[in-house]
Amino acid sequence: MGMTMGDTQPQQTTATPQIGPIEARSDEALNTARIAIRNLDFFYGSNRALKAITLDLPDKQVTGMIGPSGCGKSTLLRVLNRMYDLYPGQRATGEVMMDGENIIAPGIDVNQLRSRVGMVFQKPTPFPMSIYDNIAFGVKLHERLSKAAMDERVEWSLTRAALWGEVKDRLPSSAMGLSGGQQQRLCIERTIATRPDVILLDEPTSALDPISTLKIEELIDELKHEFTIAIVTHNMQQAARCADQVAFFFIGELVEVGPALQMFTSPRQQRTQEYITGRFG
Amino acid sequence: MSATTATPTLARPTRDAAVATALSRRRKARSLVVKALCIAATLIGLALLASILFTLLRLGIGGLKLTVFTHMTKPAGEAGGLLNPIVGSLIQTGIGAAIGTPVGIMVGTYLAEYAAKSALGNAVRFVSDVLLSAPSILIGLFIYQLFVNGRGYSGIAGGLSLAVIVIPIVVRTTEDMLRLIPISLREAAVALGAPKWKAIVLICYRAALDGIATGVLLAIARVAGETAPLLFTSLGNDNWSIDLTKPMASLPLAIYKYAGSPADDWVQLAWVGAMLITFGVLALNIVARVVLRPRG
Repeated sequence: MGMTMGDTQPQQTTATPQIGPIEARSDEALNTARIAIRNLDFFYGSNRALKAITLDLPDKQVTGMIGPSGCGKSTLLRVLNRMYDLYPGQRATGEVMMDGENIIAPGIDVNQLRSRVGMVFQKPTPFPMSIYDNIAFGVKLHERLSKAAMDERVEWSLTRAALWGEVKDRLPSSAMGLSGGQQQRLCIERTIATRPDVILLDEPTSALDPISTLKIEELIDELKHEFTIAIVTHNMQQAARCADQVAFFFIGELVEVGPALQMFTSPRQQRTQEYITGRFG
Repeated sequence: MSATTATPTLARPTRDAAVATALSRRRKARSLVVKALCIAATLIGLALLASILFTLLRLGIGGLKLTVFTHMTKPAGEAGGLLNPIVGSLIQTGIGAAIGTPVGIMVGTYLAEYAAKSALGNAVRFVSDVLLSAPSILIGLFIYQLFVNGRGYSGIAGGLSLAVIVIPIVVRTTEDMLRLIPISLREAAVALGAPKWKAIVLICYRAALDGIATGVLLAIARVAGETAPLLFTSLGNDNWSIDLTKPMASLPLAIYKYAGSPADDWVQLAWVGAMLITFGVLALNIVARVVLRPRG
């Protein structure tokens, strides 16, 4: 099976450009901040979970967020697509600028925001429907496509994570029948299918086996050419492998942020040093 | 490890093999007793059910003739059937399900998704639970006061009284089933840009479909055999009538009327009617189980 997969993969990848890549962005957008977080505070009721966070997510780069449990890294991720709106009593203050808008301000269309800032969760969350419909679900929310165009979009999305070769013959069958790793890749592809600008990954591999983890990490590497990515992870090696920039959080504060190499070889802060060497957390 | 370092002066606890064996033996004996009790209880329950089904079959099957499905109820002594009660039951149960199911699902959705912890939600949940266990004759009287008194008995009033019984059952199962769906699934739908109502309708309902459908079927099974609420609402009718504004026959009422009568042919029809309801509900459940077999 592994052999056939290897055989079909390159073929599928070369077919990708025909299906239409994400619209090219202007060059000046490169290396600038896709999302600029300024002085962000977050509250669960009266509990201040994020304290004056200021951080840039550079365009088309991977920002790894690390830190011990409860340090606020997942909370920060959930601010970036306003997931906290679902829960009364949670609120954010400060600025999160994206395309000249403060996305945490009231009056922002959160559904549109979420189509631009997609999110993938710790555990795979396939919808109880077919593989095809899983991909089409998000697309249908924001676009009106003909059957043919939708077919293309589904194929385009599935080829991104090389899941196409594995599932192309069983698109109408239930997504619940896929393995955990395949389900998680489907969830990433489902997010890509809505063509967001930013993808948030909340510990996307912590429930997966090493092989599936590797596939997802390869996928992240591939995706950062087109998307701005933020990934929360407890796995230092994963942060080192995937991230261009790493941010270390501790009890709601951003302790240090820098290029991945520097963060793991010569961090400026004592606490960063202690955390990445496994002395606490 | 930390215990030994913290209390170095205490002797290491010893393990008494004889005590351990005795304890283990007692545990096994207790387990055996409980298991036996469980099996006995199961057998009692099954025996009662089997006895009911067997009695229905034994006494009902003899009267099961074609005329049961072609003839109306007739005075004792004349060869009659159950056509009008059968059709009346189908109509009134159908009305009850058609009104009760959407209302029940919407209330259950409100409780699970929109008012989980609100005061209004708690009040609605409490009232619905009270209604769930309210004597059905009270529901009949309620509809009687609301619709029948002054306007006359009618099939629609019968259907409405059944709907009032259906609603709390569907409310409870819908709420329970929606609450079983992991938050992560809702969040995943919302994270794709779905508004909350779309996440509920397109994702949560689909995930909870089996459970909600089972609840609806249980409700239908329950009201198909309800007699008391129909006494005050649709009254019963010995003639053919599918006019919703007129009194309407139904199987439970026919059974109620015939079972206690001295006429043998009426008693026989009562057994046939009881058998039809019971096996109709049984068939409905079996079909539903086959159709709604959990996927994936």
